[in-house]
Amino acid sequence: MERERYLRQITLPGVGEEGQEKLLRSRVLVVGAGGLGAPVACYLAAAGVGTLGLVDDDVVKLSNLQRQILYRTEDLGRPKVEVARRQLLSLNPEVKVEVWRERFAEDNALSLVERFDVVVDATDNFFTRALLNRACVARSKPLVHGGVRNFAGEVMTVLPGSGPCLACLFPLESKAASAQTEGSSVLGPVPGVIGTLQAVEVLKYLLGLGELLVGRLLVYDALSATFHEVQVTRNPSCPVCSKF
Amino acid sequence: MRVEVRLFGGLEKFVKDVRFGEGFPVDLPEGGRVAELLDRLGIPPSQVFSVLINGRHASLADVLREGDRVALFPPLGGG
Ligand SMILES: [Zn+2]
Repeated sequence: MERERYLRQITLPGVGEEGQEKLLRSRVLVVGAGGLGAPVACYLAAAGVGTLGLVDDDVVKLSNLQRQILYRTEDLGRPKVEVARRQLLSLNPEVKVEVWRERFAEDNALSLVERFDVVVDATDNFFTRALLNRACVARSKPLVHGGVRNFAGEVMTVLPGSGPCLACLFPLESKAASAQTEGSSVLGPVPGVIGTLQAVEVLKYLLGLGELLVGRLLVYDALSATFHEVQVTRNPSCPVCSKF
Repeated sequence: MRVEVRLFGGLEKFVKDVRFGEGFPVDLPEGGRVAELLDRLGIPPSQVFSVLINGRHASLADVLREGDRVALFPPLGGG
């Protein structure tokens, strides 16, 4: 381990070399390599999370560059996960980056989620988010949810068994939820704020530090420059987590 | 009866002088439902994706009670 690389966090109370070793042994799956996935992956790679998994089937498009800070203009047309892997390894060659250039779907959901310690929801549509939530609840994997739209965003951490899941919060499993939100408007730094908060949640979970956003939806509004917290309780008739 | 309402993600634009996420009181007849609350506030039901009553997932048909804390969210985007 390059001790100096992580010096500024090794010296944090509650981290130490032991915490850093823990991060290097950890495996985190980031589903979606877009506006949320970019800051999440950068900060986790920089922090020395030993294995990062990235799932995304898309290529870099010009309209991505306003917010997806992993990519450069010369990357246009290239698969996002390939560019992301190159960038993350150049940031920190000590970590491993495993990529899947495919959609997170019914047929790979469980086998992907099973390989990791923590999963990050950096998806851009409700169908994938619903699937991710079901897979994480079924395999009892922590899921750090993030979402953005226009000038606002939100974060919540799902710890299956000890707090509400995403279907306790949204009508994820209903028909109405299929209204796609892909391609919605967003102020570039807003996913930066939310993705960064997701990375913070992941590191806290892996290091066993502080209080997670379990049952607490943290909502950010850029226009009023405010954060608000909304309590969320488990829905005893949740179509997803009430069965577990 | 009086309930406390918080609006998120642009829904606050439908109500004059209400700010994102800040609670405000709304008076409703006894037995009023979430749908009547939206009607009172002038928020089209199609704009509301998620409703929480006291932190618990709810629907437009749910009946509100004195002191309930209601949070309303529009659909969410992503990455
Ligand atoms: Zn649930």
